[in-house]
Amino acid sequence: MTSLIPPYDAHAVWVAPWTEQLSLYGWIAAMGFAVAAACGLVGNYLMLRRMALMGDAVSHSVLPGLVVAFLVSGSRSTGPMFVGALAAGAAATLIIETIHTRTRVKQDAAIGIAFSTLFALGVILTVAFAGQIDLDAECVLYGEISFVPLEPMVTLGGWTLGPEPFVRMAAVAVGVGVMILVWYKELLVSSFDPGLARSLGINPALLHYGLMATLSIVVVSAFEAVGAILVIAMLILPGSTASMLTTRLPKVHLLSLLHAALSSVLGVSLGIWLNCSMAAAMVVAGAVLFGLAWLASPSQGLVARWWHGRRRESVEQPAPGVGV
Amino acid sequence: MRPAITPTVGWLEARAWLGYLGVLILGIALAAPAQAAGIGDLVEIHWAEQATRFFTFQDATVRYALLGSIFLGLSCGLLGSFIVVRKMALVGDALSHAVLPGVALGFLWNMSKDPMAIFIGAMIAGLVGTALVSAITRTTRLKEDAALGLVLATFFAAGICLVTMIQQLPTGNKSGIDKFLFGQAAALGADDIKLMGAVTAVALLLVVAFYKELLATSFDPGFARASGLPARWIHHGLMFLLAAAVVIALQAVGVVLVSAMLVTPAAAAYLLTDRLHRLVTLASLFGVAAGVSGAFLSFVGPSLPTGPLMVVGASFVFALAFMFAPRHGVIARWWRRRTGAARTRRENTLKSMFHVWEAAAFRAEGVTLTELAEKRRETLEDAQRLGRALVRHDLATLSGDVLYFTPAGKQRASEIVRNHRLWELYLTNSAGIAPDHVHEDAERIEHVLGETVVRALERRLDYARVDPHGRSIPTPREIHGDAGLTDESKPRRKS
Amino acid sequence: MSAESPLEIHDLTVAYHRKPVLWGVDLVVPAGQLIGIIGPNGAGKSTLIKACMGLLPVQSGWVKLFGQPFNKVATRVGYVPQRESVDWDFPVSVMDVVLMGRYGRLGLLRRPGKADRDLARSCLEKVQLLPYANRQIANLSGGQQQRVFLARALAQQADLYFMDEPFSGVDAATEAAIIAVLRELRDQGRTLLVVHHDLPTARQYFDRLLLLNMNVVAFGPTADVYTPELLQRTYGGRLTILSEVAQALGAQEPPR
Repeated sequence: MTSLIPPYDAHAVWVAPWTEQLSLYGWIAAMGFAVAAACGLVGNYLMLRRMALMGDAVSHSVLPGLVVAFLVSGSRSTGPMFVGALAAGAAATLIIETIHTRTRVKQDAAIGIAFSTLFALGVILTVAFAGQIDLDAECVLYGEISFVPLEPMVTLGGWTLGPEPFVRMAAVAVGVGVMILVWYKELLVSSFDPGLARSLGINPALLHYGLMATLSIVVVSAFEAVGAILVIAMLILPGSTASMLTTRLPKVHLLSLLHAALSSVLGVSLGIWLNCSMAAAMVVAGAVLFGLAWLASPSQGLVARWWHGRRRESVEQPAPGVGV
Repeated sequence: MRPAITPTVGWLEARAWLGYLGVLILGIALAAPAQAAGIGDLVEIHWAEQATRFFTFQDATVRYALLGSIFLGLSCGLLGSFIVVRKMALVGDALSHAVLPGVALGFLWNMSKDPMAIFIGAMIAGLVGTALVSAITRTTRLKEDAALGLVLATFFAAGICLVTMIQQLPTGNKSGIDKFLFGQAAALGADDIKLMGAVTAVALLLVVAFYKELLATSFDPGFARASGLPARWIHHGLMFLLAAAVVIALQAVGVVLVSAMLVTPAAAAYLLTDRLHRLVTLASLFGVAAGVSGAFLSFVGPSLPTGPLMVVGASFVFALAFMFAPRHGVIARWWRRRTGAARTRRENTLKSMFHVWEAAAFRAEGVTLTELAEKRRETLEDAQRLGRALVRHDLATLSGDVLYFTPAGKQRASEIVRNHRLWELYLTNSAGIAPDHVHEDAERIEHVLGETVVRALERRLDYARVDPHGRSIPTPREIHGDAGLTDESKPRRKS
Repeated sequence: MSAESPLEIHDLTVAYHRKPVLWGVDLVVPAGQLIGIIGPNGAGKSTLIKACMGLLPVQSGWVKLFGQPFNKVATRVGYVPQRESVDWDFPVSVMDVVLMGRYGRLGLLRRPGKADRDLARSCLEKVQLLPYANRQIANLSGGQQQRVFLARALAQQADLYFMDEPFSGVDAATEAAIIAVLRELRDQGRTLLVVHHDLPTARQYFDRLLLLNMNVVAFGPTADVYTPELLQRTYGGRLTILSEVAQALGAQEPPR
């Protein structure tokens, strides 16, 4: 038991990763930030549309798509992976729609059935063809952000942009950001009031499928780093924390990005200290940030609520006395 | 429409689903070795030999794996039914992921897979997780789906941190704690089986004892609470049992997929029956079937984790139910739609015959196929096809190219025409719809009007004899009399 | 204003899950009128206005707005949905919601500019909500939320408005304020169709009434239509057979 938690060494945990080991941990933190930023931005809209658990479904469902893409193309290049993931994501949405429109099984159960089936198939394929795929079943669950290859470096016009996986993830994150900027109005109004959106001539169905496709791409890009389950935390935690602190959508987006940055940096330190999975440590750090916001948010935190409750009580308590 | 048949429908249905159940089990039994063959070849193990070992229960591992999967299938199917009817499928998902840190802490208790320590740890983690979900939804503006996802993934991450830390320990590597992620039925021991049996027995007893309360609170929680049932306690009790069922299933199914064992068998059963007690029974059976087939497949291909195989087994059962369910299945619906469309087509043919006959002032001997084709603006081949369909259903006879009504056919034709014209009259007179709008409606309604509605319509319209377009409405006496255009009797003139 | 009628409906049938809710509706609405849509629960009042805006699939018949299909004239149509239809915890301010009314006129990529903001402010002023412009929408009373929707509709600057129970859950003062705004719009020559469920006030508020119960029972100036006989026909359940058959039709053709 004592050997479980390694001795705490402030220098190794807080200083070393950002100084002498920056070339390793810097990229890990940057990768974590890119993943959490892309996921967080998409996740904000999922939550606004009460579809947070579609993230759950899609993240589990891309696995068989990835495995089949590996097996067919024989490589882990980006193109086949995206195609496989999009196909699997589409298959998942199709199965869910089919089950819940054609039968009396409700949507929540339909989601549960679809993603578990696809994920189970993916795991079976992964194990059965273990020799041909360099994915192991556990990595599928929680990824391995520390083993994401740092080679080759991508350079553009003399500038070193970073290791290839990071550049790919960052490009996805930037892409998501640009899409939100371009379609901000449409996304906002169709999430808030689909009826009004329709009457304004915006097609909510088109936006819905666009969002699902974006989700699939984000999830598959993040898969290698954080796996199928932790990605759900990456989708939900930044926005949840942000919405504890503000009631404006643009600020929710900005705070999500801040949460992504903080949780990846703190996660690296936590992972080094505890010597555990780096991606899981980032999620735990992000959850601690959420817990802090939940407790201490000035407007809706637990402490503020308790304080207001107490003040109201102390104001109201003399009242019966006055009556008498 | 035909009340005389209703009492037997329940029986037919019951027999039908028993039959389907048999087919399902047979299907699984047949499909299992076939699928196993593929996997067996893959891992180069002689599957037939393994299958014999499995079904002859030669060694304790097999017996434990089999018993374990029966217990887990039973308890998950049983409790999963309530999850499905209460629309809490995703609560089960969150619960099952949230137990992982508890498993790791239970393991750390004395650095071994002590079933009791792990059970207690996992129960606590699961219940804390569900309590957190309700605390978050109560005290923040986050919606339930976000709260569920948040707790699910966060607890899982904490669990992964602990598991990876344990694996760093000198003893941790051989601990087998990673088996809790995807499950390995072969790793079940005697103590595990005792615990699984005990939990299953308690769950079964409690569900039987509190069946009425569970039924009432699942259907309408507000009403149940108002009528004095302790809905809140029933809910907490159910969550407790669910956590227990999830935890005992962990070892065999794994954290990641155990929620599917709750949802999928119950959802399959939900497609097959309309009564909660049958749903519970069927779901338990399906759970057992999925569990046993998964354990078997995993046994013949030892490198394969059990959990995904059980889940695929359960999904297979669901897919069968989705296709073949006697009332809600895709094929049954397709068949109903097809037969419904064919019946409508026949009735429209009869109607056209009636119109031709009416145009000839009911004097003609029969309706030629050419006349029918002209009336329907179709080709002669189409008319022939339609005529043959009538003959097949004893609604008409065909001699040469002349169609004659049979008595049944003539009655049906008059009924359809009467329905059409009554409905047009009703829409124009009582519903105040313009006469030029009513025809399209009547085209659809004429096929579905039952006798009781027709009687009510006739009363309301004071037994009117003329429709809004000035044509006469056939009366019941004419319909049930044997007058008219049949091959047995000469057509008589109508008054 | 074009000479075309703002709203013309011909033989409109709408079904939910294959069960007809509206049956053979014919309607020609004159411009510049404040029209109340009256009828019992389940009479298809909300369905009618949703179908007019293409929010529901139409089984048969057609709807023309200003002589054209809805998509061509979307910017000339304003909509006030029922208050329960949106999530009031959504992270937007009162101002943001009102600005949504301008989105139909802004193209892709364009942000609401100063002119839009000024207009939104004047709309808020009109419904007496300007002081609340920067509040999050959850922190408003029911009546205030209803007025936010009204302000958003004003910001749409439409010629034809559909309003779904704008008076539900508001106090008497708010109701008076809302009706004053509606009358002002009418006086500017706009046409308003308002779903309403209170009979006595309907008589005072509206120029014309549309009595609806699965189909049009009557449509005309309030004085002509507000008669015991017609109201009895609207509310008196004379169409039991119609709904019974609708039921049978729904049961016979299950939703796919």
